[in-house]
Amino acid sequence: MISSDVIRGYNDTMILYLLLNEPSYGYEISKRIRESTDEKYIIKETTLYSAFKRMESNGYIESFSGDESYGKPRTYYKITEAGKSYYKEKCEEWELTKEVIEKFILKENDNEYN
Amino acid sequence: MNIIKNYLDNMFLGLPETEDVKRAKKELLAMMEDKYNELKNSGKTENEAIGIVISEFGNLDELAETLGIKQALENKSDIIHVTYEEAEKYIEDSKNIAPKTALGVFLCIMSPTLLLLLLGLRELDALQIKEDRLIAAGLTALIALVAAGVSYFIRYSSILDKYEYLQKSVFELDYSTEQAVRSAMAQDEHSYKSAVNTSVILYILSILPIFLISLLLDIDGASTISVAVTLTIVAYATYNLINKGGINNACQVLLQQGDYSIKTKSNKTLQTISKVYWLVIVAVYLTYSFITQKWGISWIIWPIAGILYVIIKTVAEEKQ
Repeated sequence: MISSDVIRGYNDTMILYLLLNEPSYGYEISKRIRESTDEKYIIKETTLYSAFKRMESNGYIESFSGDESYGKPRTYYKITEAGKSYYKEKCEEWELTKEVIEKFILKENDNEYN
Repeated sequence: MNIIKNYLDNMFLGLPETEDVKRAKKELLAMMEDKYNELKNSGKTENEAIGIVISEFGNLDELAETLGIKQALENKSDIIHVTYEEAEKYIEDSKNIAPKTALGVFLCIMSPTLLLLLLGLRELDALQIKEDRLIAAGLTALIALVAAGVSYFIRYSSILDKYEYLQKSVFELDYSTEQAVRSAMAQDEHSYKSAVNTSVILYILSILPIFLISLLLDIDGASTISVAVTLTIVAYATYNLINKGGINNACQVLLQQGDYSIKTKSNKTLQTISKVYWLVIVAVYLTYSFITQKWGISWIIWPIAGILYVIIKTVAEEKQ
């Protein structure tokens, strides 16, 4: 399992990606993160909620009351236009980060390694 | 499911209840319940499901900034933490002290009965002794019983003194200790509830001697004696209630329920009122009784004061 420190800066990216096509709610998002990473990353409820609140106040997502679960209305989140462009920025940032960090990662087949 | 809710309540214990905090709590609970239900549906046992939900919950520190509770969270770490051993010892001590306190209260309530009995017998002409001698004997018995009762309180209450903070200040229990307290309370529930039932029935029946004798017979002496009978029944009912209530009361204190809820504890006005209130009632009772010598009627102050106290308490809590 990945430590949450490493991944911190990219929780937003994951959540926004999952909201790109349709609105969703807390548990569904955490479940989809767990499933699509083959349980390598499990997002904590507190992490998820604080990401929701932060992105909501930055205007990247909006919340609304959706259909009921066990008699209680669920809070759904949907992505805004600002959120979509922020998502694109984060994707570009990640490509760059990956490219930079990659230069410093030893690989088994690397010449330098031998 | 209750366990998850309790866990969450515990995490938020002592934090300000702002709209943001309430909303966060509600949404976190919804996420945890969804996860719990799905784990249960996938074949996990209740314990496994709860374990996973709690271990994946995370840490409130993460929400501190978003919810504006950073300061409150830091203060929260100053909150007293009650350990399993302390809780267990407190329940044990409360259980052992309960019969002694009960006896002390019993003696105090019984204290005027001999006086009433003697006065009643004299009014019925069954005793040919001068009234002032009777009163002297009755008052001696009264003072002796009160003294015995009070000395009991003093001797045994000192054992519970060291737990006073549990009743007065806000503290927290860890999850497993809380579960242990809940199960101790559940185990005792049957015995406690049947004691409450018995005592309530006795309290209701205790009015009968006064009503029946004064209404049907209308003889002065008989009605004075009937008050003594009523007091004896009340004394036993109260003894029974306190004696069997030790564990239940300790568990309520530990779970911060009822009179010991965090809301009541933080209400300083109410605490002051209740302290002064009972002192005033005792003073009024003794002064009135000694001056007018109407011991046969003055005891009525206790049930009235009891009902009045509940009303004052409710009003004070509403105002908060």
